Amino acid sequence: MNHDINIKECRINCFRESKVPGEFMLQMRVPGGMIDSKYLDLIQKISKTYGDGNFHFGTRQTFDICRIKYEDIDKVNKCIEDYIKEVEEGLCDVDMDLVAHEKVGRKVNTGYPTIGARNISACIGNYHCICGNINTFELARKIEPIIFPSHYHIKINISGCPNDCNKAHLCDFGIIGVSKLVYHKERCIGCGLCAKICESHATRVLSLNKETGKIDKDECCCVGCSECARHCPTSAWTRSEQKFYRVILGGRTGRQTPRTGKMFLNWASEETLLQVLGNWQKFSSWVMDYKPEYLHGGHLIDRAGYKKFKEIMLDGVHLNPECIVAEDIYFNEIEYRSNFNVKPLSKHKKAGPGA
Amino acid sequence: MYNPVKPLPHKIVNVKKETDLEYTFRVETKTKVKFGQFLQLSIPKIGEAPISVSDQGIGWLEFTIRNVGKVTNEIFEKKEGDTIFLRGPYGNSWPIEKFKDKNLVIIAGGTGVSPVRGMINYLSKNKDYVKSLHLICGFKNKECVLFKEDLKVWANTFNTTFTLDNEESKGFKKGFVTAFIKDIPFNTFGEDYEVVVVGPPMMMKFSGLELEKCGVDINKIWMSFERKMSCAIGKCGHCRIDEYYVCLDGPIFEYRIAKDLID
Amino acid sequence: MSYKLTLKEAQKLLDKLSLTYDIYAPKKLKAQGRYSDTDIIKYEKIKNIDEIEYREKSTYPMKEVISPIQQTIFYFTEDKYRESKVSTKPILVFSRACDINAIKVQTKIFIGNGGFVDYYYQRMYERIKFILMECDFESDTCFCVSMNANITNNYSLAVRFEDDGIHFEVKDKDFTNYFKGYPHSSFAPKFVMENKTKVHIPEIKDRNMLNKIKKSPMWKEYDKRCISCGACTIACSTCTCFLTRDLIYGDNSEVGERRRLSSSCQIDDFALVAGGGNYRTTAGDRMRYKVLHKFHDYKERFKDSHMCVGCGRCIERCPEYISITATVEKLNKEIERIEKEEASNV
Repeated sequence: MNHDINIKECRINCFRESKVPGEFMLQMRVPGGMIDSKYLDLIQKISKTYGDGNFHFGTRQTFDICRIKYEDIDKVNKCIEDYIKEVEEGLCDVDMDLVAHEKVGRKVNTGYPTIGARNISACIGNYHCICGNINTFELARKIEPIIFPSHYHIKINISGCPNDCNKAHLCDFGIIGVSKLVYHKERCIGCGLCAKICESHATRVLSLNKETGKIDKDECCCVGCSECARHCPTSAWTRSEQKFYRVILGGRTGRQTPRTGKMFLNWASEETLLQVLGNWQKFSSWVMDYKPEYLHGGHLIDRAGYKKFKEIMLDGVHLNPECIVAEDIYFNEIEYRSNFNVKPLSKHKKAGPGA
Repeated sequence: MYNPVKPLPHKIVNVKKETDLEYTFRVETKTKVKFGQFLQLSIPKIGEAPISVSDQGIGWLEFTIRNVGKVTNEIFEKKEGDTIFLRGPYGNSWPIEKFKDKNLVIIAGGTGVSPVRGMINYLSKNKDYVKSLHLICGFKNKECVLFKEDLKVWANTFNTTFTLDNEESKGFKKGFVTAFIKDIPFNTFGEDYEVVVVGPPMMMKFSGLELEKCGVDINKIWMSFERKMSCAIGKCGHCRIDEYYVCLDGPIFEYRIAKDLID
Repeated sequence: MSYKLTLKEAQKLLDKLSLTYDIYAPKKLKAQGRYSDTDIIKYEKIKNIDEIEYREKSTYPMKEVISPIQQTIFYFTEDKYRESKVSTKPILVFSRACDINAIKVQTKIFIGNGGFVDYYYQRMYERIKFILMECDFESDTCFCVSMNANITNNYSLAVRFEDDGIHFEVKDKDFTNYFKGYPHSSFAPKFVMENKTKVHIPEIKDRNMLNKIKKSPMWKEYDKRCISCGACTIACSTCTCFLTRDLIYGDNSEVGERRRLSSSCQIDDFALVAGGGNYRTTAGDRMRYKVLHKFHDYKERFKDSHMCVGCGRCIERCPEYISITATVEKLNKEIERIEKEEASNV
C-alpha cells in the first residue's frame, strides 16, 4: 500500500497509527472514566461500522476503537462530534475552540483538536466505594477545562483515597482524596479498633492510650484515609465536611527512568488544587519556550527543576491554610543504565527562554 | 439520692506480701461481710475491680490482690496508713447455715483460696460448727503458695491435702487438686455433707466432673464464679451468664445450676 | 386535645418550652457518616424546629440522651469521691415509639435489676418527658410490630410534621397552657401497625434446648462474618452495657475522674478477666451471647418483653451486612432442627 499520511497530525487528532498500514485507533476521552452508558451504543456503532467490531478500554480510561481506515477518519470524526459536545462542553464546560487559551477556529466534525493533555483517569471514588473520600469524576470534570485542549502533555490520575487504586503515584500529577479526621473524644469508648485498623491498613498513627482510654494520634503521619472513621462503632471519628487533596508529583513509567511520584502538596483544598493546575500551561510554555513538543509533564519538571516548577505553579495561588507544600523533592529513579544522567554538557536539555 | 457505686475511703492498717505477685491488704472498716462476698476496690489507674474478702475480724477486712500486669502496680506501692476506696459488700455468700453439723469438703485452687479463707479461719476457731472439714488446697508451685501461716494452722486442725501442680515439697503433694478428690471418704459421710469448690474455671469444671464420678450429689456442691465486673450492681452487663448476673445471683452458685451455665 | 401550629408558631412554642426544658431531638450531622458524603442522625440538644430530622430513622438511638456514650460519674481526690453534677432542668425528647419502649428495658435494668437503683440513670430518667414522633417512613429494617414495640402511651405530646406546620396532641396537662389560642386539629398520632419485615419470635423451651443452641454450629458463620466492632450494640436502643474507667490528672494517680463509657459484648475484651482469661473468644460466641440475651435471657430473667424493640438500627449500622432479623430466622430453623432431632431420638 502506498500512503502519504501526516501521522503526527493524526496523532494530535487522537488517531494513533497502527502496525497495520493505513489503519488507526481512535481514543475518545472519558474525563474521570465515568460516562452515561448510552454512549456505548455510539462506541458500538463506530466499531462495527469503521473498525473491526472490537473495542479496548484504554489504559487511561479512553474508549479505544482500532482498525479504523485512514480514509474513514473524517466520517468517524463526524460521528463523535455530538459526543465531544456533550461530554467535553456539556459535562466539563470545555471550550473546544481554545487550545492553550488561544482561539484556533475549530470547525465542526473535525474531532479532537489535540491529544496533549491526556484523559484524566479516576477510580470510582465515593460515588460507590466504601473507602473513597471524594467524588473523583466530578473533580476530573472540573479539571478538564483547565488542562484541555492543550498541546502540552500532562497525565493526571485521580484516586479517591490513599489506597491509590488509580496510581496517582505513577503519573505527572496524581491527585488523592484525603480527609482531615475529626475526633469526637466524648464518643470514644476506647475499644481501640481504629488503632488496630490504622496499624494494619494505614500508617500506624493511632494508638490506644492505656491510661486515658482514649486515642493518641501522630498527626503528622496521618495519610487521611479515613479507615478510622469507616470502622469506628460510635462515630467518634468522622471525616471533615471539607474535602482535601494530596498531590503526588512526577511519577512515571517509561523506558528510561520510571519512578514513583513524590508528595508536592498535602491537604490542599479544591480551590487551591484548581488554582495550582491553572498554572500548568504557563509552566509548560515557559519550560519549552512556547514550543510544545511531544514530551511528558514529568520531564518538564526535570528540566526546570522542582524549585522553578514550584515557583511558577504557585504563582498567584492563594493556598488554603491547611495546605502544605514540599520544600524540595528528591526523586528516586530507576536507572536501567547506571549514571544515566551523566553525559556531555552539550547533550543536557534546557528549559526556559531559548530552550 | 443514694448512690450505690460511690466508693468510700478506708485506711490500710497492714500490708502483707504473700508471694511476689500477691499482697494481702488489711483495711479498717466496720462493714460486715458474709463469707464468700466481695467488694469493689478502687485501684489507682485501673478503676474498680471486684475483690473477694480473704478474711475478716472486728473492725477490719482483708483483701488478697494479685498483681496481674503493669497497670495494677500502683496498688502495691500502698503502705500501712494509706487510703484505699471501697464499696460493697456484694453478692451472695457461702450457705454456711447449710454446712452446720455436716462433713464439709473444700476444694480450692490458687487465688481461689481467698474467698474461702475467712470461712476456714472461722471454722478453725469454731471447731464444732461442722462435723469434719476436708480441705484440698492446690497451688501452681512453691512460689505461688498463699497464706502459709494459715495453711499450717489448718493442717493441724482439719484433714488437709495441699498440692503443687508440678513439684513436690515438704507438706505438699505433687499433682492437680482433682487427683486427690477420690481420697475424700465420701462413703463415710452418708447424706451428711456439702462440697465447696473454688478456683480457676478449668479447675472448677474438672473438680465438678471428678466429684460426680465419686458419686457426689450435685445438689451438695457449691462453686464461686469470677467474672469481669464494672458495677457489681447488675447494670454493667459484663458478668451476665444467661439470665444470671454473677454480681447479684452469685458469685456462689449451686453446681446443679453452674454446670449448665455456658458463658 | 390537638392543635395545628404553623412552623413559625411551632418555633415560638419551642422557644417558650426551652425556657423550662432542655429539648433533645434527632439531628442530622452532615458528612459524619461511616462513608464519605453520608450523614448520621443522632440525638442532640436543639434550639430550632428545623434541626429536628423527622423524615428518617436516627442512626443512633434515643437512649443516648439518658445514658450518654461517655459520662463522668465521679471526681476523686486522695480522700474523696464526689459525684459529677448535672442540670436539674427537665428534659423533653422527640422520640419514636420503639425508642420510648426501649426505655422500659433500660429502666428494668438500671432501676430494677437486683434492687439497686442506678444513680446516674435515675437522675436523668426522672427529668425526662417524651414527645412522640409519628413514623411515616417505610424502612425494611424496622420490625417493631413483631416485637410489640410499635405502640406507646408514654408521652406528653405527640407530633406530626407537615410541610406547612406541625400537629400537636397534648396528653400531659403540664403543657396545656402552652397551646392556648392555637387552632384545634383532629390529629391523633398513628402508630405503625405493620412492617415489611416480620420476625418470628423464637421459643426456647428449656435449658436443655438453650444449651443445645449455644453449642450449635450456627454461630460459626459469624466467626468469619462479624468483625466484632460493636457498632450493633452501640446503635441498639436497648443495650445497656458499660464499663468504668479512671482518668488520672497529670502524674498524680490520686486525683482524677471516673467515667462510665458504653461498652459492647461484641468487643473481644468484654469478658476478659484480670488474670487474662476470656470467656468468649470468638466472634461467633459473642454473637450468640448477644442474640440469646435479646431473644431469651432477658425475658427469662425479667419475665417481661424480649430485649429488642425492632428498631433495626443494628442492621443499618453493621458494616458487614449482618441482619438481626435474618439471624433470628436462622435461630428459629436451628430450634426446629434440634426439636426434630430430639423427636427422632425418643
